[in-house]
Amino acid sequence: MALITHEPHAGHSSNLIATFRLSQQAPVLLKQQLSKERNVLLSLVNKSEEPENHGMTEQLFFACLQSGDDKSAVLCLELLTRRFGSSNERVTALRGLYEEALAENQFELEQCLHKYDALLSDNALNLPISRRRIALLRAMSRPADAIASLVELLKAIPTDAEAWCELADLYHSQGMNLQAIFSLEEALLITPNAWNIHARLGEVLYICACPLDTEDSIQLLRRSIQYFCRSVELCDDYLRGYYGLAMATFLICSRNPSTGSSNELLSVSTEDMLYNNRVEKLNKLAKTKLEDIVERRSVDLQLWEYSQGELIAAKELLDRMTGLH
Amino acid sequence: MALQGVEQTILRDPALFYWILFPITIVMILTGILRHYATVLMNTPPKPPSTMAESCERLSLLRGVNLRNNAPAVLSKEAFEMRKNYLVSAYQSGAFLKDPASRGQPPANPMTDPAGMEAMMGMMKGNMMMMIPQTLIMSWINAFFSGFVILKLPFPLTIRFKSMLQSGVMTRDLDVRWVSSLSWYFLNLFGLQSVFGFILGSENAANHMSQQMANMNPAAGVNPFQPGQDPDKLYQNEAENLEVMEHFCILDGIEDRILHNIASKEGLI
Repeated sequence: MALITHEPHAGHSSNLIATFRLSQQAPVLLKQQLSKERNVLLSLVNKSEEPENHGMTEQLFFACLQSGDDKSAVLCLELLTRRFGSSNERVTALRGLYEEALAENQFELEQCLHKYDALLSDNALNLPISRRRIALLRAMSRPADAIASLVELLKAIPTDAEAWCELADLYHSQGMNLQAIFSLEEALLITPNAWNIHARLGEVLYICACPLDTEDSIQLLRRSIQYFCRSVELCDDYLRGYYGLAMATFLICSRNPSTGSSNELLSVSTEDMLYNNRVEKLNKLAKTKLEDIVERRSVDLQLWEYSQGELIAAKELLDRMTGLH
Repeated sequence: MALQGVEQTILRDPALFYWILFPITIVMILTGILRHYATVLMNTPPKPPSTMAESCERLSLLRGVNLRNNAPAVLSKEAFEMRKNYLVSAYQSGAFLKDPASRGQPPANPMTDPAGMEAMMGMMKGNMMMMIPQTLIMSWINAFFSGFVILKLPFPLTIRFKSMLQSGVMTRDLDVRWVSSLSWYFLNLFGLQSVFGFILGSENAANHMSQQMANMNPAAGVNPFQPGQDPDKLYQNEAENLEVMEHFCILDGIEDRILHNIASKEGLI
């Protein structure tokens, strides 16, 4: 699913409320569209069709599928098919998505897969379809196949940041964190100002460093802090970035006394001292910022609704940290 | 010589105004609009790559460019060195080429290469779209309206504007403020762009200036190679660019920067 949605605001699984709201409006919106098409006079007046409209229909399609409103989804699909023709690559991918959503058992999913394979054998570079195929492989819990095909795809199209992110996610789900880090770095090379990918890279580095307690893990943590810092620098008030920053700095701070006691105190160089000092400051900064953000967003009802989960998690983290200190 | 300070008066038939000035203007606007739609209609989108290898050949170059441009913002030293070494060796060995076997051979003649032919046709079409209407209208004006003085500008001008405003009327003594029909055509040709922008939206194709600019700079789009260009040469170039690149990283010292910028701004610490 995440592979095919280009606009994150609707149709994204993390924001189910918005998705449901959109899908509830589906019948009204579709009726408007259809009546516009039927009314010849009106269509003559607004001759210039807006590209955004089609994007909206696509979003609506995703939202309807997610909320189980298959009837409206078919209508959306028909609208798009009528405009772009059934052989359009993107439309075929949408149709495939619809069939996948309706599939009830493994066998039907297999059939979808075979259909994709047949389409790809005609045109190996059918991007929407190959993306769907990979997503389907992943959904059928065949991550190794998905990774293999994704690597193939990326060999042909190495400038696709979304695919790199998906690959990173797949690797991460398989516990291959170093590969995931590599893929995220590739994605960042294509979109160097994406603060969310920076934060994600920081998270993966953090997860990588967490279970170890060696010099390597300290290095990884330092890098993770750097990426969180960068994400915060790119986007003020980015909750996820501050959350990660607080976690990573907290981990370093909590490890420091133990290393200090096991080794001799003298072995800690001044540089490390300075660094630790900085990390503590960063930790304080992250916490204050988090408190600030949580406080501000909790007041605003709309913001609260939009990022409920994140805010609750941030609150919980703050409570935990103050409890430990 | 014209007398200084004395207003020249020429008796003009007002019909000149209605039958020359307006027709030329209207015809120019209409051809502009027509040209816009014709260009839109004839415009063929750049052909997408047909095989995996072809797409790889096209996009791998962008990968090197991306690395060069964005590495300082993202990568640590080791990660950068690794990628650099990989890309340089792959570029030099031609691993990304569509068919590595034909490396080093002279590029195919763009006249015989079908893909190159298509691109040339596209360019030809664009140029024809410019040339034909201009020639037609120019000859139309020359045939019917040459030699008419049709308009008097309400402000004085220096003598240098004479050649611009009075082409086709060979009188030395005529005040510069008088505009001939042929000059009116030229003024329209170059001056109507904002009108087209108003009618057709700012990205219109009637604006031939912008089209000429676009022809000179075709780097945008999916295909970084022009027809007849040897990808291998570009790869070698890019490999050289990468090799001389020196790494620095804006992530170094970012902690201090954050503390300095954000914390001090908000007065937190």
